This record gives sequence, C-alpha cells and structure tokens, in this order.
Amino acid sequence: MWLTSKIKQVLMVIKPGVVTLKYPFEPRPAPEAFRGAPRWDHTRCIGCGGCANHCPARTIMTRDICQEIRILLYDGARCTYCGRCADICPEKAIAMTRDYELATPSREDITATLELFMLTCQRCGRCYDMETRNVIDKLDLRGYRYDDLEARTVLRRTSDRLDPALLEATERTSRPTE
Amino acid sequence: MIMGIVLVLVNVIVFVLLAPFYDGVMRKVTARVQSRKGPPVFQSYLDLLKLLGKENVSSAEGWPFRLAPLAALASITAVVGLVPLAGRANALSDRVDIITVVYLLALGGVSVLLGALASRNTFATIGASREMMTMIMIEPVLAMTLILSAVRAGGLGLPGAMAGVAASGFGWSTGLMLVVYLLALQAFVAKQPFDIAEAETEILEGPFIEYGGPRYALFKLYVMIKQMFYAFLLVSAFLPAARTGAYPLDAFVQLAAVLAVLVLVAVVGSTNPRLRIDQAVRYYAALIVASLCAVVLALGGL
Amino acid sequence: MNPVETARTIKEEFGPAVRGVETPSPDRLFIDVERAALRAVSNRLVALGGRYIVGVGYDEIARNGTLGLVHTLAFDAGHWAAAVRTSAPAAEPAFESITPDIPGAGWSEREYMDLLGMTFTGHPKPKRLVLADDWPAGIHPLRKEVPYNLVPPAAEDVAYQLDEAPEGTTIVPIGPFHSSLHEPEHFAVYVDGETIKGCDYRGFMTHRGIEKLCQTQVSYNEVPFIAERICGICGSVHATTYAQAVEAAAGIRISRRAEYIRTIMLEIERLHSHLLWLGVAGHLIGFDTVFMQAWRVRERIMWLSERITGNRKTYGMVIIGGVRRDISPETARDIEQVLDAVERESLALERSIVGDTAIHRRTKGVGSLSKEEAVRWSLVGPVARARGIDIDVRRDHPYAAYADMAFDVPVVDSGDVWGTLVVRVLEIFESIKILRQALRGLPGDGPLLVEIAEALPPLRHAFSLVEAPRGEAAHYVVTGEENRPERWRVRAPTYPNLQAVPAMLLGDQFADFPIVLGSIDPCFSCTDRVAVIDVRTGRRRSMDRRELEGVSRGSRG
Repeated sequence: MWLTSKIKQVLMVIKPGVVTLKYPFEPRPAPEAFRGAPRWDHTRCIGCGGCANHCPARTIMTRDICQEIRILLYDGARCTYCGRCADICPEKAIAMTRDYELATPSREDITATLELFMLTCQRCGRCYDMETRNVIDKLDLRGYRYDDLEARTVLRRTSDRLDPALLEATERTSRPTE
Repeated sequence: MIMGIVLVLVNVIVFVLLAPFYDGVMRKVTARVQSRKGPPVFQSYLDLLKLLGKENVSSAEGWPFRLAPLAALASITAVVGLVPLAGRANALSDRVDIITVVYLLALGGVSVLLGALASRNTFATIGASREMMTMIMIEPVLAMTLILSAVRAGGLGLPGAMAGVAASGFGWSTGLMLVVYLLALQAFVAKQPFDIAEAETEILEGPFIEYGGPRYALFKLYVMIKQMFYAFLLVSAFLPAARTGAYPLDAFVQLAAVLAVLVLVAVVGSTNPRLRIDQAVRYYAALIVASLCAVVLALGGL
Repeated sequence: MNPVETARTIKEEFGPAVRGVETPSPDRLFIDVERAALRAVSNRLVALGGRYIVGVGYDEIARNGTLGLVHTLAFDAGHWAAAVRTSAPAAEPAFESITPDIPGAGWSEREYMDLLGMTFTGHPKPKRLVLADDWPAGIHPLRKEVPYNLVPPAAEDVAYQLDEAPEGTTIVPIGPFHSSLHEPEHFAVYVDGETIKGCDYRGFMTHRGIEKLCQTQVSYNEVPFIAERICGICGSVHATTYAQAVEAAAGIRISRRAEYIRTIMLEIERLHSHLLWLGVAGHLIGFDTVFMQAWRVRERIMWLSERITGNRKTYGMVIIGGVRRDISPETARDIEQVLDAVERESLALERSIVGDTAIHRRTKGVGSLSKEEAVRWSLVGPVARARGIDIDVRRDHPYAAYADMAFDVPVVDSGDVWGTLVVRVLEIFESIKILRQALRGLPGDGPLLVEIAEALPPLRHAFSLVEAPRGEAAHYVVTGEENRPERWRVRAPTYPNLQAVPAMLLGDQFADFPIVLGSIDPCFSCTDRVAVIDVRTGRRRSMDRRELEGVSRGSRG
C-alpha cells in the first residue's frame, strides 16, 4: 500500500541520520591493507628491474646510464596502485603505503628516482637468476624497459623483451608537441 | 496611498529576497531525507549570483528566446506585488481581481513555453509539450481555488478572495478545496512526483536546456518565487490569519506558515518517484472534477 | 545429451564437413567444421538445446593464411558448453551469416566485419558496429599486421546511417552524452508524441583497445589488472573469467582455498553492484531518495572491500594460479559483521519500496519483452530471469567454489522492469547466503597461488563463463607464445542484452526510456572494449550541428 510504504520509507531514513563524513575537515586514514602510493626502499633495492618489467601501467622505467649506474624511475602519474611491483620485488624493497592524498600540480611530487650503483656479476658482467614461483612472472633480467626518462614518453616505446631497434628509437624520442 | 505603494514594494522585496532562502531550506530538508548534509541554506543565493556572473550563450536568435526569462520573472513578480500580505491590501490589490492573478500566472507559464519552443532543441520541445499539458490540466484547479474564494467572499476582488477562510469561515466546500489544493500542490510547484516537465534523467531539464548564465538565473528565480507563491496561496486562502494587528508580526507568522508548507512539499517530493505525463494527466483530471465539485458546493452555500 | 553424444550426433549428420572433435575437459566440446557447414551445425546445436554465447574471430594468417571464426554455445541443462570452429582463407574471408536464425550472433558478426574484414552473407544489418565512422576502410585492427597504436588519418564524408525512422515519428537523440547514460553511446529514439516507435543504437564510443593491447603488449599476469578495469563495477568478474580461461587452457588447477576466496570476492562484488543498480534505477525514475539510501547501504561494502583488498573497487585479487591476498579469520569476522548490517538495511530498504505503488506505476508493464523474444535474443542475467528464463551460470556451469554452495536462483515471469528489480533484490539476499557459506566453509589449507613451473602451452583454446551481476560473462582465450594470450575475446553480459533494448522499448512512453535501458543494468565499458585505441567519439553528421552541440555540450575527441 502506498501510504504504508511512505511511512516505512520515512522511518528508514530517520534511523541512519546524516552520514556525510567531515573529510577533509577531519582526517580519514586509509585502512591497514590499503594499496596507496608505492615507496621504494633504496637500501634494499638491488636494481633487478622486476618491478619495471611487471608494471601493467608501464610507469616504472629503468635505464643504465653507464656500466655501474642504473636509474630506476617511478612516475606516479600513471600508477594504478595495483601493487604488483611490491609483490614481485625479491627483496621486499617496495611497500604500498597508505597515502592516497596524492593530487598535486607538480609531477615531481609523485616521482621517485633511484640511482643505483650496480656491482657486476663476476661471471658474466651482469646477470642474476632469481627464484620466482611462477614462470609467467619470471624476472626477465636481460630485457630492460628502456625509455626516455627525461621526457617520460613511455607509452609507445616499451616491449616485454629487449628490442635493440626500440632502444635506438627511444634515444631519439621527444615529447609530442601540443 | 503612500503606504499602499510602500506595501507593494515590501511584498516584492520580501518575496524576491526570501524565495531563494526557502528554496535552500527545501534543499536541506531533501538532503536530510537522503541522509546527507546538503548544501548550506543560502546556497540558492550563491547559485543565482554565480549564474548572473556568467556569459549569456544563445543557441537561438530572436526575441522570444531572449525575452522569455524576463517575461516569466516579471509576471511572477507582478503577482507577488499584488497579493495582500498578512491580510493587508496594498495599492494594487484593490484594483485587481482574481482574473488578473490567473492571467499573470498563466503568462509566466506561457513565457516558459515560448522560451522552450524558441530554443529549437528536441528536449526543450518535449519539455514544452509536457509543460503545456500540465498547465492545461492544472491551471483550472488554481482557477477553481480562486473562484471558490471569490464565491465565498461574494466578489471577484482580490483582497476578499485571498482573505479566504479568515474572512468567510470554513465550510464543506473549503474543506474539499483544501484537500484538492494539497493534492495539486506538488504539481503547482513542479516537484516530485510531478516534476515531469524538467525531468533531469529523461529530457535534461526540458524547457530550460538551452538557457544558461543570467537568463537561466532569471528562470530559476521565477521558479523559486512561483513555488513560494503557491504555498502562500494555500496559507492565505485556507489557514486562519494571525490578527495581532501588528503588520510585521502578522506577516512573519504567515511567512513562517509558508515555510512549513514548503518543508512538507520537500518531504513529499523527496519520498516519491516522478510520474509519467500520461499518468499525471489522469490524476489532474480527477483533481479538476473534484475542484468543480467544491465550487458547486460553494455556490450552494456550503 | 552430453558432449560425447552430441559430438557423435554431429559427426553422423554432417559427415566429412566435420574436420575434428575435441573434448579437452568433461564440460567442453570443440568441433572443427568446414566453412560451408557452419550455419547448419550451429542451428543443429541450437536445436539440441544450445544457447548462443558469442562469436570469436582471430587472425591466423601468419600461421596458415586463414582467419578463424568460432561460435560458442552453452548447454545449460547439461552443464557443458560447445565451440564450433571454422576458418576461411584471408584472401576471401566470407562466411554465411547465422544471424537470421540466431539473432544473438548479429553483433559478433558485425564486429568481425569491422575488425577482421570478414564478410557475412545474409546478415540483416551489416553496418559498422565497433569502429568509428571516420575510421578508414580497409584497415582491420585485429589483424596482426596492424600495430596496436595505429592512428590512421580520418576518412572523409562519412556518417553512420541510422535505421529508417517509422512513419510520423521524430528522432530524439539520446547521447552520446545524456544524464541517464553513464557512458557515451547514442540511442536515436523514434517517438510519435511521447510513444516510442523504434530505436537505433550506435555505441562503442569508449573503445580502449583492450583486446588488441593484451594480445600484443602485456603479459599473462598483467592482463587481469587490465581486465579489472574493463568495468568500474564488475572488474573482479572479468579478471576471474580471464584467469579461469587461461587456467583451463593451460591445465592449471588452483587450490580450493583460492577458489573460495575468488567466490567470496565475486559475491561481494555482486552485492555492491545490485545495490548500485537499485540506486541508479531509483534515480532514473526520479526517486533520488532510493538512490541515496541504497548507496548508503552499499558504502559499507566499499569500505569492507578496501579493508580486505586495499581498494574500494579494483580488488586486484585475481591472478593466474590463484589469488594475491588471503582472508584471515579476523577478515572473515569483519565480513560477517558487514553482511549482517547490509542484510538488515537491505531488508528495510526492500520492505519500504516493494509496496510503493508510485514505483509500481513506473516499472510494472514497462519494458515488456516476452519469454520467446528473450530466448531469441539470447538474453542473460536478471534481464532474462525476469522473463521466466531460468539460467544462472553459477548453477548451470559451476566454477570456483559454487559447486559447494546451496542457493536459489530467483526467476519471475512478469517480463518487465519491475521483474528485474525483484530478481536483483532477491539476488542480494542469495549472495549474502552464499557468502556466509563460503566463509564458514573456507578450506583451511592450500596455497593462495599454485606454482606454475612450466611455460603455458601455446595455441590452446578455452573459454570460461562467470555469472557477473549483469549476467553471463564469457571470455575466450587462445594461449600464445610470448608470455601473453594470442587471442582474448571478452563478451560482457550487456552485449546480448543491449541488442534487445529496441525491442523492449517498442510501444513504451518516452519517459520510460531511461528506466528500460537502466533495467538491463548496462555496462557499456564492458561492452565496448574492443578495437584499437584513439577512436574518436562517433559523430552523427546527419544531425543538425546546433542540436548536437546543445545536447552533447562540446565534448569531442
């Protein structure tokens, strides 16, 4: 009956009262297990590039600027906070923080750059064989994700395996002009 | 004489300035029903100010498009200038009768239609046709209300008619008419379940779709004053007036009653879905019949 | 009839036209046929009780110079499904259309006309479906030769030709941007006064090139994260269906515990989706209070998801081989508490709207479609169950942990929007029932992720069915050689349901358009996910420019 429904509706809305949160005037911390911005612990990172290899958003880039130095760049602008980098990292150097208040006009605020001094393997000069549970998640250490770190034009220049032609192309990459 | 003119101005100022506040209160009530905080009660003023500061984008040329908002606002402002607030007739009230009021209200509605049809937008046309159907079916109820009051007051003059119950007492006809008016109130103020002409999810604000900026502000103000007026008509015609003798106090009581009526409108509006125009038309037809019965009863002296 | 018997019947009746038969698992049958026999075999399977699911096209030119085509059908009563495969040489990729007999195949065939350059003789409406109007002819994005990021020059002087408007009607353009639609699409509704006399649909405006992208650029375990973002409401469904399809193709068995956890996430998603729909339905009929209250109840589930998975909606729980996070006893208790609260509040909500005659007037008798029509269009989900069709993938083709669960499938036969409302509300309570069983029966041991020691064998076909909140989601996967699928076809439940919307609208009032469309719980993001990136918004050049700008306020490209 219409009237009893209306009465029930009014009763139903009285009970919860106003549920609007006072955020941002009161802080609202994210729960424990929240997947917020990832943070690298540079003291643990071994520069394997696994995070770069398995980032679905292709927003982690690595490049060797010389034999000993590898740059790892995380560009938070395209991060989807999936947490795969943290899963894959063999040294547990990446933690998904509870940060979600990440809006900023400056890209630098959400960028993390690690400059890593790489020791060479005494056998071949560079390789490590990491144990992973799934062969489809293998850390493909011989294939780096070469991108233009300055211009961050990563979108169309990545590949799952090393592609020398692509590497050459990224050297000549420039940001598309608007 | 001077007092009469001052009272006209008081009417206009009170209605025009209070209407956005009342609209804000309605929005707050709606929000509370929806378990949320809602905008501040002064939000409607801010909305109007914001719109007035924007550019007039014209999708259509021609004077009907540009003049329609002005005509609508002018007509409703004229109506509120005429009515006797707190039972005190002003310079204009004595010179007009109920026909003027019906005419001016219809003029407002026609201005909306003109603007909508001048917009040359499919959604505006659909909105206009719905608005037209609503007007054709609901204006008679308004007219019957005023005619009933005129019959009981013994003349077409506006002060007598608007004094309603306060002057001529409560009878069967008044009781029936009150019920009919309450049932039609949601349609008069175009709120759920009868906000069909401006159905947002169906026709994207219907008649007003092409309006933005200052012209839209005028239309919005028109709608706000209109809803305040219809609530005022209910209070004036059907509720006994306060007779303290002090005009400001009487006016305050009457305006408080208007606010209470609008709160009721907001509650009913937020607890009902929108009906379809064909369903609404059937409902209005029943209301017309009932209002006719009330007038007949009044003519019979009841 | 079971798969083996059906295979035998088909082989007997079609003799040499049947090139081969495979039953890789007890509930799957793959039949390879000659191109000429495709239509007859499909019809025969439908006659034997098959329900059409989706068509899949793929490019095998590099391997053997052909384009492959698959039609999948489900045998719900027997709890199995079949796929009929055929191929045509790339130089002459013509097939006979099966749409005249199976209307549900209409869109699948149109899709491959656009994306692979196939032709389907006898198709009743061979118009562009997926590609934009100004996409140049001759470039077929799903062919391997076309790079995933191609941006071709726009074609000139093209427009989508709408269907002929019936006599005496005007066209009301709904879309690409309209407040009753959540994503851009275009419905040209032909009205006579306020009565709807017809409707044409032009969609696929939110292409993101997902299938192409995942076939060329990403790896197996990155795909679930993209699959999850196909839809903002049923993400877990797509990730799970994909993972199940790959696991079926590669013969990977995940642990029982992982299956239970997947089930739990799927049902939590169903809860939030149905409450969301309830709110949206209320909003579409102008009842914003139902919208606010239903979403208030739903908010608890979003917070719960955030506590369990780390995010309100993109759970990120499913990858190949199992799930990423565990459900600890504390989490299980948390879920139980939220379920109690949600159940209580949903009951209050249900009781207050079930008798509301105002809502009845907007939903009863609206969007009517008979059971026969619904079967013809191969409808799925609550839309089908509201028309008396008793199908539910969780019961008919059990996956994850559903074989262990006891639940009812609500079916009503009112055939209208009210029916879909009743079905979805009842499903909320069934979901809560399933969740409680899953939490209590959660197996104690078993790894969250099984070890995949060997590379996944390439070129294996499999398809998986999952009951999304909107209906049956089907993913067809062909495993590939470069640590990614070679072909991945996503068929969302809205895909068949959308095709029936014009039929549902006929004869209704224009004001009913939003709620009828809303009653299929459309998820255009799910439906549109094919083709290459950078497709521009489809513009109707035949429309008056001012009209279009007035309606779709200057948002192009």
